[in-house]
Amino acid sequence: MPHVAVTAVGVDRPGIVAAVTGVLLRHGGNLEDTAMTRLGGHFAMVLVVEVPGDEDAGALESALAAETSTIGLTVTVRPIAEVAGMRDEGSPWAVTVHGADRPGIVHRVTSLLAEHGANIVDLATHQLTTNAGTGYVVLLSVLLPAAADPDALHAALDALAGDLGVDVHLRPDDADLL
Amino acid sequence: MAIVPVRLFPDPVLGGACAPIGEIDDEARALARDLLDTMRGSSHSVGVAAPQIGVARRAFCIDVTDHPKARSCHGEVVVFDPIVVERSGVDVGREGCMSVPDLTGDVARSASIVLRGIGVDGNEIVLDADAFEARAVQHELDHLDGLLFLDRVVARDRLYRRRTYR
Repeated sequence: MPHVAVTAVGVDRPGIVAAVTGVLLRHGGNLEDTAMTRLGGHFAMVLVVEVPGDEDAGALESALAAETSTIGLTVTVRPIAEVAGMRDEGSPWAVTVHGADRPGIVHRVTSLLAEHGANIVDLATHQLTTNAGTGYVVLLSVLLPAAADPDALHAALDALAGDLGVDVHLRPDDADLL
Repeated sequence: MAIVPVRLFPDPVLGGACAPIGEIDDEARALARDLLDTMRGSSHSVGVAAPQIGVARRAFCIDVTDHPKARSCHGEVVVFDPIVVERSGVDVGREGCMSVPDLTGDVARSASIVLRGIGVDGNEIVLDADAFEARAVQHELDHLDGLLFLDRVVARDRLYRRRTYR
């Protein structure tokens, strides 16, 4: 069965997930991987949904918008290519970045990671203001290809950290199989 | 002697509480052999619980020999009808499970644990474990109550889609 990518964003309030997933269920959708979280007072949903072969993405988007109109969500539904298995080659590493907030932290760090072939599998950022100023925290999970050199990446991240005036840490993120 | 295919999530046998072994009879001894064979048959495995090989009984085996995070190490051990006598401390560590191939998660476990149970020879055994051996024991114990590490992940963003194990 085909898949669609659904996004929905709106001012946070109780019932958003129930409303959106109710519409998807009535249209024969089956939720696969999803991420849903509150971002700065808004609630944001990104969902990969398996839908019946005759389900039209545009019609589903219209139905979602209409049936959640009282909640006031911005909704999109787009067809996506078949999910061809997870591309999870490489060794898992965690990268943490924190320091005084300034524009460009995420862009500079992720550009460097891309140069080293690191594939980001998860990223979350948090801005927080204290009596010492506004700080920024970035947490990343990345996969490093076998050909990548962790020591070289470490050195490059250290240099970038100095340049940005933030702390950057790279550590192996292995799990123990029990 | 048999290496038994490991049951994978969402097999219902992984989700229920297991029945006590009681008397150590031929069936229990055969289960112990299958547990050990299955653990030895998987190069990464440091423990197998009975429900993972399709048997809903309270038994597991562990072996953390040569694991870099191990401190206490009792070698290969099979425990029937285990009971936790004492636990202390807390450590958070990343766990994966042979029955949940694609996910890992950060799980808080007691740093040390004392376990009482019955050995294959029918005698009582007491296992005083810490560090990685304590984590392995608690992971296997959970299987006997139908719990997976998924039930203990410390926060929703501490569950990871992974296949790479050390």
